[in-house]
Amino acid sequence: MVEIRNLEKTYVRKGRRIRALKGLSVSAASGETLGIVGESGSGKSTLLRQIACLEQADEGEIFIGGDEVTGKRTEDICQDVQMVFQDAVRSFNPRKRIQSALDEVLKRLCNMKGPELCGERERLIRMVGLLPELAERYPGQLSGGQCQRMAIARALAAKPKVLLCDEITSALDVSTGAQIVQLLKGLQKELGLTVLFVSHDLVLAMELCDRLLIMKDGACVETGTPQEIREAPKERYTRALLEARLFC
Amino acid sequence: MRKCSFFHGKSSRRFYFFLALAVLLLLTAALAPALAPNDPEKTHVQAMKQAPSEEFPLGTDEYGRCVLSRVLAGAPASVFGAIGLVAVSFVVGTFLGMLCGYYEGLLDEILMRLADILLAFPQMVLAIAVAGLLGGGLKNALLALGITSWTVYARLARSLTLQTKKETYVAAARFSGCGGLNLLFRHIFPNVAGPLSVTAATQIGSTMMGIAGLSFLGIGVIPPQAEWGSMISEGRSYMQLAPWVSLAPAAAVVATVVIFNCLGDAARDLAEPGAPSGGASGRRFRLSGRRERYAGRKRVGRRRA
Repeated sequence: MVEIRNLEKTYVRKGRRIRALKGLSVSAASGETLGIVGESGSGKSTLLRQIACLEQADEGEIFIGGDEVTGKRTEDICQDVQMVFQDAVRSFNPRKRIQSALDEVLKRLCNMKGPELCGERERLIRMVGLLPELAERYPGQLSGGQCQRMAIARALAAKPKVLLCDEITSALDVSTGAQIVQLLKGLQKELGLTVLFVSHDLVLAMELCDRLLIMKDGACVETGTPQEIREAPKERYTRALLEARLFC
Repeated sequence: MRKCSFFHGKSSRRFYFFLALAVLLLLTAALAPALAPNDPEKTHVQAMKQAPSEEFPLGTDEYGRCVLSRVLAGAPASVFGAIGLVAVSFVVGTFLGMLCGYYEGLLDEILMRLADILLAFPQMVLAIAVAGLLGGGLKNALLALGITSWTVYARLARSLTLQTKKETYVAAARFSGCGGLNLLFRHIFPNVAGPLSVTAATQIGSTMMGIAGLSFLGIGVIPPQAEWGSMISEGRSYMQLAPWVSLAPAAAVVATVVIFNCLGDAARDLAEPGAPSGGASGRRFRLSGRRERYAGRKRVGRRRA
């Protein structure tokens, strides 16, 4: 479903060249949940932004469902790819009600209107475990967890094939984060989504994902199933990540 | 029930007070012909430079025309001219500035360098040069001021757009299939409109001063049409004999500029409660600071006790 070949991305900050991605190649099968784990600055979010076409890669190719999306705009691929952001509250326009964000997706990407749109909006909100009345509120009037659920509902409204999750639990408390992970797990099974789950929390990613990709300094250091990673981590860096989480 | 700060804050009361004054001023300007006690252009040979009386409440000018009626007749040109110019500059400047901030690149370079060139000239000097070339009249005066006034909004809109387009909700809006001008006006504009509107409110006063200044110099409104700047200029030569001829329109200019500046200031305080402000609001901030220090002392005192 998602295939990335030799992806390169370099940023220039204050005259310094920072290689955020160093020829990264990775793939995720249809219906698979791929966890991308690494410490801050390892290139996880950069990778996700390239897949989402929010930034253009310097080199390499990205294929989604067999189609090359390299060089395309986000608005051209949003029918197939949706993203849930780290800061859920800030991912909604502060001047607009939550329902207008959901309606926009349903109108533009699903060509819905009138009662059909209202019904679908209600169904989506109930699917993420919230009351439809909450959609009448502004983002600032909802909790972080509620906003993150609404963000998932918005992403699912487009009926995407691929869902990109960029540290979606890191701004939430532990119990709310666990609820969001459980919700995502259920929805992924129910809808057969391909999920790319970016996190710096290895243990959390192990709970949710079918396969893990460990990143360091813009490159992949290890891949494997959660069981393989837990039982026999090959790299010192992976062991350090595991130990750091267990120590906490 | 939670009180809405918009209606219950001290600054919101101030905002509504100046908004009411501004509305009153606009109504007065709109109803000027009906409110004028005399014909503003009718001369009274028997009453030239007459001091304020029952018939002519603010006296008469050198042709015996009623000063109050002329001040009222001059209000639409001054007030609506300034508001119209600010509105047009706001629309043009905001649109161009947002395009520059959103697309950047060559368009941004060209428009911002043009804005830099226009800002390098003192606005009044450039306006005098343009008005001198195009000739007198309110339209030409407004055009002369408008050549530079859009740059204020363009620069502000550009910088606000540059900040706002990096926000997560803008990236999220792209996933809704929203892009280009749609994204710019549906998602970015509502979030940059506040500071721009406040700037527009404060610009009304300075634009009015500009129109009055050009008329004062004889390159604005053409006599006998009444306009505050040209009325001040007309009364200047016999200031010691009949000061009311200049003082009445000058007072009208001052009052109008103060009302619109205070309205803009109060609107900014409402939009950005933490922003430092000048004038009356500055005093309010200092007072509130003193109150906070006093409250702090009281808290410390209690703790010690």
